[in-house]
Amino acid sequence: MEKAKIKSTQLFVLIVLFEMGSALVVGIGTDAKQDAWITVLLGLAGGICLFLIYAKLFLYYPDVPLTSYIQKITGKFIGRILGFLYVIYFMYLSARVLRDFGELLTTTIYSSTPLLIINALMVLTIVYAVYKGFEVIARVGELYFALVYCIALLGFMLIMFSGLVHMENLRPILENGWMPILKITLGQTLNFPFGEMNVFTMLLPYLNEPKKVKRVCIGGMILSGLNITIATVINIASLGVPLFERSPFPLLSTVSKISLANFIERLDVFFMLYLMVGGFFKITLFFYAAVIGTSDLFGLKDYKKICFPMGLIILFASLSIASNYAEHIKEGIIIVPIFLHWPFQIIVPVGLLIIAFFRNRKKQLIN
Amino acid sequence: MSILSKLFKKKNKSKQNDNYRQQQDPDAPKNLPILRDYHENISRLKEELGNSTDVAFREFNLKQYKGVAVYIDGLANSNMISDFFMDALLKNQEELQSDSFQNLVDKVTSLGNLRIINNWGQVYESLLSGNTLFFVEGHTKAINVETKGWDKRAISEPTTQLSIRGPKDSFIESIRTNTALIRRRIKSPNLWLETMKIGTVTQTDVAIMYVKGIVNDKVVTEVKERLNQINIDSVLESGYIEQLIEDQTWTSFPTIFHTERPDVVSSQLLEGRVAIFVDGTPFVITAPAVFIQFFQAPDDYYSRFDISTGIRLLRILSFFIALIAPALYISITTFHQEMVPTTMAIAIAAQRENVPFPAFVEALIMEVTFEILREAGLRLPRAVGQAVSIVGALVIGQAAVQAGFVSPVMVIVVSITAIANFSTPSFAMAISARLLRFIIMALATFLGFYGIMLGVMFMTIHLCSLRSFGIPYMSPIAPFNINQQQDVLIRFPIWAFKNRPPLISKGNIKRTGKGQKPGPPSQSDRKQDSDQGDQS
Amino acid sequence: MKMFLALFLLLFSILPVLSGCWNQKELTDLAFVMALGVDKGKNHRFDVAFQIVNPGNVSAGQGQGGGGLPIAVYKSSGDTLTEAARNAALKVSRRLYYAHCNLLVIGEKLAKEGILDIFDALERDPGFRTTTEIVIARDSTAEELVTTLTILDKLPVSKVTKELQTSEDMLGETLKVNIDDFITSLVSKGKQPLITGYSVIGDKKIADNSQNLQITTTKAFLSANGIGLFRKGKLIGWINGYKARGAVWVLNKVSGTDVNIDWNGKKNAINVTPLRSRTKVSAKIKNGKPMINVVIKEESIISEINTNADISNPNEIAKIEKKVGKVIKSQVIEVIKEAQNKKCDIFGFGEKVHLANPKLWKRIQNNWDEQFSETKVFVTVKPYQRRSGVRRNPFWNELKQ
Repeated sequence: MEKAKIKSTQLFVLIVLFEMGSALVVGIGTDAKQDAWITVLLGLAGGICLFLIYAKLFLYYPDVPLTSYIQKITGKFIGRILGFLYVIYFMYLSARVLRDFGELLTTTIYSSTPLLIINALMVLTIVYAVYKGFEVIARVGELYFALVYCIALLGFMLIMFSGLVHMENLRPILENGWMPILKITLGQTLNFPFGEMNVFTMLLPYLNEPKKVKRVCIGGMILSGLNITIATVINIASLGVPLFERSPFPLLSTVSKISLANFIERLDVFFMLYLMVGGFFKITLFFYAAVIGTSDLFGLKDYKKICFPMGLIILFASLSIASNYAEHIKEGIIIVPIFLHWPFQIIVPVGLLIIAFFRNRKKQLIN
Repeated sequence: MSILSKLFKKKNKSKQNDNYRQQQDPDAPKNLPILRDYHENISRLKEELGNSTDVAFREFNLKQYKGVAVYIDGLANSNMISDFFMDALLKNQEELQSDSFQNLVDKVTSLGNLRIINNWGQVYESLLSGNTLFFVEGHTKAINVETKGWDKRAISEPTTQLSIRGPKDSFIESIRTNTALIRRRIKSPNLWLETMKIGTVTQTDVAIMYVKGIVNDKVVTEVKERLNQINIDSVLESGYIEQLIEDQTWTSFPTIFHTERPDVVSSQLLEGRVAIFVDGTPFVITAPAVFIQFFQAPDDYYSRFDISTGIRLLRILSFFIALIAPALYISITTFHQEMVPTTMAIAIAAQRENVPFPAFVEALIMEVTFEILREAGLRLPRAVGQAVSIVGALVIGQAAVQAGFVSPVMVIVVSITAIANFSTPSFAMAISARLLRFIIMALATFLGFYGIMLGVMFMTIHLCSLRSFGIPYMSPIAPFNINQQQDVLIRFPIWAFKNRPPLISKGNIKRTGKGQKPGPPSQSDRKQDSDQGDQS
Repeated sequence: MKMFLALFLLLFSILPVLSGCWNQKELTDLAFVMALGVDKGKNHRFDVAFQIVNPGNVSAGQGQGGGGLPIAVYKSSGDTLTEAARNAALKVSRRLYYAHCNLLVIGEKLAKEGILDIFDALERDPGFRTTTEIVIARDSTAEELVTTLTILDKLPVSKVTKELQTSEDMLGETLKVNIDDFITSLVSKGKQPLITGYSVIGDKKIADNSQNLQITTTKAFLSANGIGLFRKGKLIGWINGYKARGAVWVLNKVSGTDVNIDWNGKKNAINVTPLRSRTKVSAKIKNGKPMINVVIKEESIISEINTNADISNPNEIAKIEKKVGKVIKSQVIEVIKEAQNKKCDIFGFGEKVHLANPKLWKRIQNNWDEQFSETKVFVTVKPYQRRSGVRRNPFWNELKQ
């Protein structure tokens, strides 16, 4: 743990940036076709429920991160193993997002630049930010939050004025009934991006007013969830379902369709700007959680020493987790939710909460 | 960058051990007495000052007093010495009866600011700061009279920080005049001033000024502590102090503000900042400084708020133009040709058709040429400067394009960069954009827009990590404070400046009273007015 | 720590050396492909013509421009588009750069055989814009089209794309269709794609010669010419003139056109220009069979009266409105009939059925082409006459007196 305190507005901003980070880029729930936005909203609702679990756990142990209280709840030995698994989980996720990010750049603009270089430079920036500490990350978040919102509003207006939005593309609603939607929600949108809020179990102790935690975090989730919904709606409405399904990066396709007065067009750069910012925060927060978790588990006094080595690990992990993009996506859709997201986001926290509940009740009884 | 500084610190540790002051004069003559025989004093002075010819000795011989007046020609006001002191001494000869030293002091001197000094250590201190010393035969004391009076420049218009509207005076090289300029503006007993001497050899006067009750006392102590820690032979300009007390060395951004305008210093003092005056320079530094401060020009507050807001936004925009315009050009022409509209892309391509260099080299050549011209223009005598700028304009603008070395677009880019750079009110901030520009250009060459973004991100992380005397550099933007936005991107009307920035000032926070918003007189007042008007 | 730092610094410092072969591409090493012409090939599947801009001759700034021809056309062939593009490297000294390609021309022959094979390459390539517009080279090859020089716009491409835009705005007989639109309607079961046709009119031999630019009445020029109907990626027919206009009405793309009506027994005596129009297409299911309702709302001004008429009388105006409505309706019905004959739902009626009744649609979607030809379509036109220019009654009225 680092000695840092952040304000609730800063936490809010970080949550919004984190949630929207890659979810806007890769497009979520595309399998639900024109109902993708419904799965986003359902995912949001489920995510909030999940977060209530995390918040409850946090309120039991408001001063320490997950890796510490997991030891208190389950005992030293199991706790350490679980904590270590969590650290690896966070590292894997940050490597994954990094890979997403690098893949996007290499498929669109930097087709002949090695992935290594693109990712290495990103990691360098991230390590620098983490090295500077959590307060700095939060401040950078505030700066870029404004930027992202300006770009988003501008993009929104441009899309509207270009006449790209055809709302009839959203119909018919619920063509195939609720079942497929629920399936996709549980398998995809619940875990990504909303379940990923569990990274904040590592970061909540930095909040200077622990009482506000629920309000701030759920507010942030709702705002980002609405933004993602709006973006999904716009994507479907302007691309049409077939193209929406076929695009690996729907938002990119939408943005590249903007054409206003034959002059304002080819705005892919704006998209890249957004991508950089969103990707940066998502990777940084995962990475920071992993670094803090490691230093917490191994009792390191100064987490800064392991920033560079862990950065290197993430860099090389991002290159080696999949040999091609198809494999990467396949892993992301099938393996990761079942074997990683569900246990780490849902099963373990629920278990922890139950144990913690009984332990704390016992304590209260004794007192 | 702090990693780098750490590496350097380790190396420097061994060097810091040797104490400069001790080497300079091993046995400081601190507690030596003043001799009875004034002749011996004279010869001692002559010896120790190396017979410097500007040391003037004037011996006098009155009834029972023999002695010598010593002063440094040029530093001391010789008129003052002869008019007030020597005359008085000669006229009042009759009154000198007893031969006590005190009598001489009391009766004779019509000058104020008299001091008796008892040991040799103080002799140089007062002599070298322009005072006159009287050694009297038979006494181990000397009279020290304040006769400081060297030639100084008159107060003139500021030369580096111009403004359309606002006071036209600026600081000069004399510390006393400078502090007086502030005193004249802030007539409050709470304006406090502390003086110290820094520089083991130069013994430069350094003054700290702040408004008690507004300033954060912690900052004052911090400033004093940092000043006290300075151990250097010389302080020739406030830049020395600035570089010795700033929070971060490894940054190109100024974390301490400097100005030559008294109105700026006054306003900063009233916001709770500390001003540091250094003798011998017209530049006063103030701390703590925040990023946005470097984009606030004095005119902003003298003209109306809508206009100043627009202009301030323009300045911030031009800072970014100065930072990334050439990098954008490079990345558009070498990476993202699809970004620009087709006709424009073709136009640029047509212009670059005959240019032999890659875009980066072209941009680098032009930028470096321009920087050389600008630097040369600064150093050259004013008369020649004109000629150089004409030659430069011809070389860059005309000949290079006609020869086909550079494309006309590049000339446009370079000139817009240069002009944008000049519009930053603070030179210290503008120059950091100049430096970073080259790094971002290099990044753009390797990775296009991604490189630019990386560079800008690195820069923002760095900016967010900076602090100036404990205040986050990017405040009040990051950390964001909604109550402090009156003077950031948008300058609110003056009546809306309710509070001082709370991060900087402590205690007396309130700025404006209630109901300061001006407006036409209310309905009932107007009725009365018109009634009266009808009657008359 | 130091080691890692050193490592990163090293990495950073060798960047310039490494980056030489990355994505950097100087403007002067690029050949901007402005238009792509795809024809049925002789030896290979495709003959591809790349219209490349010659920047120095287009841009006026340098003073040396204006001398040469604005474009150069390179030809190559291959069994796939990518192969053809790579083969072109044998002839072009620079890298072909597609991001500014604004036009895709497809030869009529190829269009008739099917054009599905060319689209994936265009859609997949990140450099190629899917907003590129498509036209069919009618009665000629795509190569002839892309080699033709034009007089007003230095770049033939901008002539075509601008013309598509203006004629859609002013005339309503052409449609701007880009790659995205085409693919979207291609994969949709309830809609068939349309592409505007373009022809080289006049002396084709001189079309690619600079002589063509030296005369005020150019001997060969490009002109929009009808709209091509596609089914399963194959060109199955053309609709021309008023029928094309009718199709544009149904597709809600009319922003300006003109309508002639008879008056006082004189043929085409009054001309009105629609200013705004809005078409709503909806589907209803009756007895398990879909029915389509087309409602066209249109506002127009009178632009010409070549007979005597009392347009200061609102009743007369109402009569004019009625007649205008009839004319538009007849145009629309004509094209719908034509489409039904060809079993080609170019209007997207199927999609409307899908929206109206997803369950029914699931049953009939695979058979929609047949269904479409039998579906009843009701057309309603609601014209509104708003203004009549800067004269009240025409001078004809006084002439008669």
